[in-house]
Amino acid sequence: MSCNKTQHLLKEYFSDDLLPVAKSKIEEHLFSCAECSAELESLLLAQSSLTQWREQRVPHWDRGLEQFRREQRAADSKLGFWSKLQWFPLAASVVMLTALMLNTQLIYDDEGFMLSFGATDVESKLQGFIDSQRQNLDSVIQRIEDKQDINNIELLEVVLKQTQQATAENLDSIYVLFEQQRLRDLEDMKVGYQQLIDSDYETIRSLQRLAQFVSYRGQVR
Amino acid sequence: MMKLTDEDEALIAAALNGSALAWEKLVRRHEGRIFNQGLRLMGNRSDAMDLVQEVFLGVYRNLHRFRGDSKFSSWLFRIAYNKAIDINRYNNIMASRTHRSDEKELDILESIPGRSNLEGEKILSEYQANKKVISMLADLPLNQRLIVELKIFQSFTFDEIADIHEISVNTAKTRFYSALKKLKNVSESEHVL
Repeated sequence: MSCNKTQHLLKEYFSDDLLPVAKSKIEEHLFSCAECSAELESLLLAQSSLTQWREQRVPHWDRGLEQFRREQRAADSKLGFWSKLQWFPLAASVVMLTALMLNTQLIYDDEGFMLSFGATDVESKLQGFIDSQRQNLDSVIQRIEDKQDINNIELLEVVLKQTQQATAENLDSIYVLFEQQRLRDLEDMKVGYQQLIDSDYETIRSLQRLAQFVSYRGQVR
Repeated sequence: MMKLTDEDEALIAAALNGSALAWEKLVRRHEGRIFNQGLRLMGNRSDAMDLVQEVFLGVYRNLHRFRGDSKFSSWLFRIAYNKAIDINRYNNIMASRTHRSDEKELDILESIPGRSNLEGEKILSEYQANKKVISMLADLPLNQRLIVELKIFQSFTFDEIADIHEISVNTAKTRFYSALKKLKNVSESEHVL
């Protein structure tokens, strides 16, 4: 081989990063130099003989499926055990939260045990509230009675002054009339307050039911 | 239409969730490329099948580590490439190719269950067609054969080849040129004979 450029130029010719200008320069020499041209031709022939490769089919094999299934089953059974356990803390939390919300109580006695939902002291508190309301009502009624007594006396004095008939008989009859009227007023007022208390009581009962969901007491034996 | 890489990723996800069908489909999509690569690098079907099985065993063991940063096919090629180098080192194919590979070939063809003679002949015919290529490649030293595989059959650039082999681009080009020269000589000598 007399051309000393052949090896260098052919090595570059097969490069994939050759600039178009450099490639055309190399080609210019390769096509003008007989030795380089012949060498290039035989190299391209050798390369093309490799590209005659025909994709060959893969022989039969199990593709690792048996092992895949075996290991997957093992993994599933391991996961299954842990997947059951992983719900335990959540379930325990739900049970505890429910017991807390419903104020669940377990009471033992001689007859067995009693499981109750809802606070037992709520009713006693409610009863206390009703009693205090009644006391308030009684004191209000008492104050109204006292006030009405004073008003009646003042009114009676005004009437007597105007009629100038300060006889004992008139005075008694007028006083009876006022007293009857006062008693009727008081009765009406009591009825009104009682209705008000009943209404409050029902409202509280409804709220209690709503808040506790369950307002019954069950006994389990 | 779903892209090939997207389909690979979908199959990987399904296989990781325990789908044997997805795993089989994933293997079927890529086994041919690995098998043919193994044939060219190692010269016989038996070693090529060993390569396929070892590669997919490695893939199965490391599938959960595949991050999707690169294409699955590139990741697979890297594994196959390294395995092929390992198998070559142990088998010393250069010394044994002349008769041992032929013996293995016959064994493999006879051991294929349920294959008709016609199908067996077709496989044999395909193999005969490739035999010249295998014979030419077998005359190359391993480092040149690997570069020819990467450049001609896998269409890698010299930059990528240099990166894979941890050599300079110029060295990669020189090795490729030397390989072509050697192949030319082998081809010419076969024509003379």
